[in-house]
Amino acid sequence: MSTGVKSAMGDQENKQSDVAPSSEGQPSERGHRDRDRGRRRHRNQPRHLEASINMAELRELIDLITENGLTNFELEREGFRVRVGRGTTIEDAAALAPLPPEKQHAADAGAPAASAVQSTRTSKPPHPGAQAEEAASEDQDLHIITSPIVGTFYRSASPTAESFVRIGSQVGPNTVVCIIEAMKLMNEIQAETTGEVVKIYVENAQAVEYGQPLFGIKQQ
Amino acid sequence: MTTVTRPFRKILIANRGEIACRIIWTCKEMGIRTVAVHSDVDRDSLHVRFADESACIGPAPSAQSYLNIPAIISAAEIFNVDAIHPGYGFLAESAYFAEICEACNIKFIGPRPDVIQLMGEKVEARRAMQAAGVPILPGSPEALESEEEAMKLAREIGFPVIVKASAGGGGRGMRVVRSEGELGHALETASTEAAAAFKNGDVYIERFVERPRHIEIQVLADEYGDCVYLGERECSIQRRHQKLLEEAPSPMMTPQLRQEMGEAAVAACKSIGYSSAGTFEFLLDEDHQFYFMEMNARIQVEHPVTEMVTLTDIVRNQIRIAEGEPLGFGQDDVIMVGHAIECRINAESPDTFAPSPGTITTFNLPGGPGVRVDTYVYPGYRVPPFYDSMIAKVIVHARTRDLAIARMRRALDAMVIEGIKTTIPLHLKIMDNADFQAGNISTRFMEDFLADKGTKERPLVTASAALTGGSA
Repeated sequence: MSTGVKSAMGDQENKQSDVAPSSEGQPSERGHRDRDRGRRRHRNQPRHLEASINMAELRELIDLITENGLTNFELEREGFRVRVGRGTTIEDAAALAPLPPEKQHAADAGAPAASAVQSTRTSKPPHPGAQAEEAASEDQDLHIITSPIVGTFYRSASPTAESFVRIGSQVGPNTVVCIIEAMKLMNEIQAETTGEVVKIYVENAQAVEYGQPLFGIKQQ
Repeated sequence: MTTVTRPFRKILIANRGEIACRIIWTCKEMGIRTVAVHSDVDRDSLHVRFADESACIGPAPSAQSYLNIPAIISAAEIFNVDAIHPGYGFLAESAYFAEICEACNIKFIGPRPDVIQLMGEKVEARRAMQAAGVPILPGSPEALESEEEAMKLAREIGFPVIVKASAGGGGRGMRVVRSEGELGHALETASTEAAAAFKNGDVYIERFVERPRHIEIQVLADEYGDCVYLGERECSIQRRHQKLLEEAPSPMMTPQLRQEMGEAAVAACKSIGYSSAGTFEFLLDEDHQFYFMEMNARIQVEHPVTEMVTLTDIVRNQIRIAEGEPLGFGQDDVIMVGHAIECRINAESPDTFAPSPGTITTFNLPGGPGVRVDTYVYPGYRVPPFYDSMIAKVIVHARTRDLAIARMRRALDAMVIEGIKTTIPLHLKIMDNADFQAGNISTRFMEDFLADKGTKERPLVTASAALTGGSA
């Protein structure tokens, strides 16, 4: 999802100190947000992501992608976006999100590593907004609960209540894992599987779109 | 007159494909931020790429995405938009959707819900037009109650008559009846088809014209009662009631007839309280008498030909009107310059019309003087099989009709699309067709053309006219 405006509740979370756009070798701490809205173009800026990636990290990431033979991998962080995939060029991604010159070279250097074979579609929809802190290869064995609707994601039934689930929670098919609010209606989302919550991809009060990954479940 | 204007900061486009891009282009020119909504298979679609923000609202089937009102409204609320532009098709003429937008304090860029409702119901629309003094085809004023009633009316009108569905169009629920003996059966089958397609088996009858021309009038009305017409479009070239090619002005139009038709349309708008852009579709018989057919309370696919000859931006006017601005110009300010033609390019076989979805491998857009292409595809784009097959509209504008035809031929020749089949070859043949060049067209054109296989020599006189044509 690409968002530039947050929900009302979310604005509370945006009151962070301004951080300068990331410079090379200085990844910002988690939790600081890049408030440089002038540089925002088309694509989403998940609020909680780190503000940058340095060249060493990028090379490592590209190695990880090619070693594991991923067909499509998309990485977004504030001010930076790369898509590595079969048949997709780095130039496409670079054209969409402006890149500082040094990172542009790194992205181009990574392009030849992607093999040029026709990509195949899996039966599941591709996961939009794949989050940076989880390398996609780790999630290949997880069952991903995705959002069935457009709305605002909440971890608990009310601001003061406990979260429905946390990392490590056991879930069954009927376990309510979250609420997605759409048009003032609170929709309870059920796990529809049995297992353990190992990943949570979104933050409380984050706007989510259809198909967006919410939880990663290790099925049992 | 007191006017209240609320400029929009952000508009959500509840549509896809070329019209979504079209709306985004004008929004960018006006400094309005755009939100694209899309199905999961449209993630890489051009409108998503060029919008400022976007959200996936559902899976491929339209009912779960582009017709999914809760998802669209939810996205509109999350993005805090001021208005929704519905484009054409999908929810553009859903009075229900327009009402919900109103209830959620989101401005629906189009007419009011009650007006959409009125013009969407064919029998009601005819009655309203009759009350406004617009000529309608002799026919039953209301849905038919019985076969006896139908027979009585048919005798009054005179055969041939056509049985039509009240609740729909596009060729379904229609039967031509040439003699009394056929009437009973035609009523039954048309009603059954209508019930299946539109959930309403009501039918009515009207006079049937053998070789009609389909001429439509574009109107623009603000929310304060001012209205103008932006000339006509000739849309007779249709296959199975789907338009293939449109032009402005109509080759058979006279200034006097244009004024008569335009003033009738404007009078009708004022009588029903119409606002925003709209189109009155008229049928012209062989004597050039015009009769109201239906009204489309939205922007139309073929709006570009009107924009080219009147030098207007219809989307811009829709947005301004929705913001509460007065029209700002009168009928005397409307100009018509030159001639424009639009060809709808579909991802279909040019011979069998079978759909041809797939990945576009090569794509070259024609350019040069007087050429406009409204499209949403690009090299590498995968045309999905879930939606209508139109992938581009090629529009040309030139000083005269002959020059426009030569220009269209040149533009289509330069439009290279590989990886899928397209109807470009068909349009090239139409440009070469002698009847088309002479302006001898009616809604029977495509039928005759396809029967003939369109094999009529391109007359040399047109080619040389293009070469010596002057400054256009």
